[in-house]
Amino acid sequence: MGVDLVENVSMAVRTLSANKLRSCLTMLGIIIGNASVIAMIGVGQGTQKFVNQQFEALGTNVLFVLPGIQQGGSQLGAAQANTLVLADAEAIAREAPAVAGVTPEKTELLRVNWADQDTQVSVTGTTPSYTSVRNAPVGRGRFFNQLEVQSNHRIAVLGSETASMLFGNRDPLGEKIRIRNLSFQVIGVMAEKGSSMGTNQDEVIFVPITVMANQLSGRDGSLTSPTVQSISVSAHSPETISAAQYQVTNLLRLRHNIKKGDNDFTVRSQQDLLRTANTVTGMLVVLLAATSGISLLVGGIGIMNIMLVSVTERTHEIGLRKAIGATRTDLLVQFTTEAVILSLVGGACGILIAVAGTLLVTVLTPLEAAVSPAAIILAVGVSGAIGLGFGVVPARSAARLEPIVALRS
Amino acid sequence: MKSRFELPATAEIVRLEQVEKRYGQGDLAVMAVQDINLIIRQGEYCAIMGPSGSGKSTTMHIIGCLDRPCSGRYYLAREAVEQLDDDDLAYIRNRKIGFVFQQFHLLSQLSALENVMLPMAYAGIPRQQRQELAEAALSRVGLEHRMSNRPNQLSGGQQQRVAIARAIVNQPILLLADEPTGALDSRTSQEVMDIFQSLNDAGMTIVMVTHDAAVAQLCQRIIWFQDGKIMDPHLTSAKLEQYSSVKAEMVA
Repeated sequence: MGVDLVENVSMAVRTLSANKLRSCLTMLGIIIGNASVIAMIGVGQGTQKFVNQQFEALGTNVLFVLPGIQQGGSQLGAAQANTLVLADAEAIAREAPAVAGVTPEKTELLRVNWADQDTQVSVTGTTPSYTSVRNAPVGRGRFFNQLEVQSNHRIAVLGSETASMLFGNRDPLGEKIRIRNLSFQVIGVMAEKGSSMGTNQDEVIFVPITVMANQLSGRDGSLTSPTVQSISVSAHSPETISAAQYQVTNLLRLRHNIKKGDNDFTVRSQQDLLRTANTVTGMLVVLLAATSGISLLVGGIGIMNIMLVSVTERTHEIGLRKAIGATRTDLLVQFTTEAVILSLVGGACGILIAVAGTLLVTVLTPLEAAVSPAAIILAVGVSGAIGLGFGVVPARSAARLEPIVALRS
Repeated sequence: MKSRFELPATAEIVRLEQVEKRYGQGDLAVMAVQDINLIIRQGEYCAIMGPSGSGKSTTMHIIGCLDRPCSGRYYLAREAVEQLDDDDLAYIRNRKIGFVFQQFHLLSQLSALENVMLPMAYAGIPRQQRQELAEAALSRVGLEHRMSNRPNQLSGGQQQRVAIARAIVNQPILLLADEPTGALDSRTSQEVMDIFQSLNDAGMTIVMVTHDAAVAQLCQRIIWFQDGKIMDPHLTSAKLEQYSSVKAEMVA
């Protein structure tokens, strides 16, 4: 007895296609809800992944020593504080056993000329260990060596974008550029690195830190050793990074004569920075999830409304079907089949749109947005449950009516 | 068709005893029908007549198991119906009773053939057989050339004939019709009445509610309702004219 499955599905498809507008409106709710949730979560996770990769690009096992006290993720006080000096970097390299490499940085935005080109570039004075500590390989030519740093050679290594900006397609190696009207010979071009943390790492010029401190930047007068803006320290391995952090902190407290109270510098590991950034991107993901959750809710209300209206509209049909012999189970199976088909088709369309959307984001932006199975399960589950619930429950109560009562409506 | 009905010619198809139906609760309750005692036998062709609100349709719905009586007993082919559960009633509506409505009540998204196949789907008959039986039923009502048309492509008379085909396709023991010609003009009414007549000639027990004295005259037996009661279970033609004229005066 009862209606077989094939008959049921074909009947449901007939009914749904006979009421195209109603079916499409119901599915629209499901599609919008699903697509937005899946795409938003995909983009959020892509952002988080992107940020992680950016931090990895800074170099592994790296500690950053910054002047002044850093509050949270902000650079509060960093610009004004000039408590770090070049001698600190030399001392760390000499005296901290857990440290593999040390590189100080002193950066200023300076005027640069070549031929008729005239522009402002961020010029960083540093040491040869920059390439290893900051994980920044040279593309062509070479980086300067320790001897050239000590002897104040006016030589420069260009970031890849600065090279093409100044020289176009010509070979910059051996050419002389002018920085703040001083002549520098170009000896190398860095490999392309992309942007990180909102600064383009290819739009730079590297010069020996001694030249930067003594010839390009104004001297600070009061201090015997030139100040630096940051010291990057690499540990031998991820395991020794906390040892390195401890040693660097103690050494600098000793050198800065701090016996009690707060440091006048900050030692921050890549993990610290990553954690800070992750709290920010985590908030972003929560925000996106909340936004898409609301669209799922709105979509759900849409599904709910149209389902309720259609069941009310179809009470008459329910009465007729009962009058010619349909049992409650038959009717329940019929409405369930219809709701399941709507949810499945709508869900599939939603997933397709979400996949297309995330692909588009991946192609057009540096974010690697990915469709996560958990998001699919969440979205399809919620919209399916709403569709089923509000499609079947009212139908069930309509199926309980005496046939003539349902027919009269 | 006669051979299909196993019951002897005089067997009771419908037996109502002290049937009562109220709508609403307590002081607001309205008595729709009361004290209904009625026997309809195998092969009878009855018309239920009476003024509006006299309880004709209510009684018809109770006989058709579309509604339940508040009290009293109802035996369909000697089986007590009033205590049966919902699924048993669905089975009875599916197999034992065919119902024809004034407004046809065809499903608009299905073709004529599919509408006729529907009761057999609920009976669990295989698809191939369903199609053959539905085609036979539509031929029976003279619509073999209209099987794939949707209801909105058919005239009112044709739609009512599809509805009759649907009602008889599961070979019920009782065919009920609530104002079957109420939405039709006199010519198509005649077509529909011809079909009822030929079904009755083949042995089908038919009960219909009608307002139309001309339609009722075509039936063997007229049951007269008034004020929720059966005034006369075997009204003669002469008396019908008398009642009808009284009614006409009242309307005038």
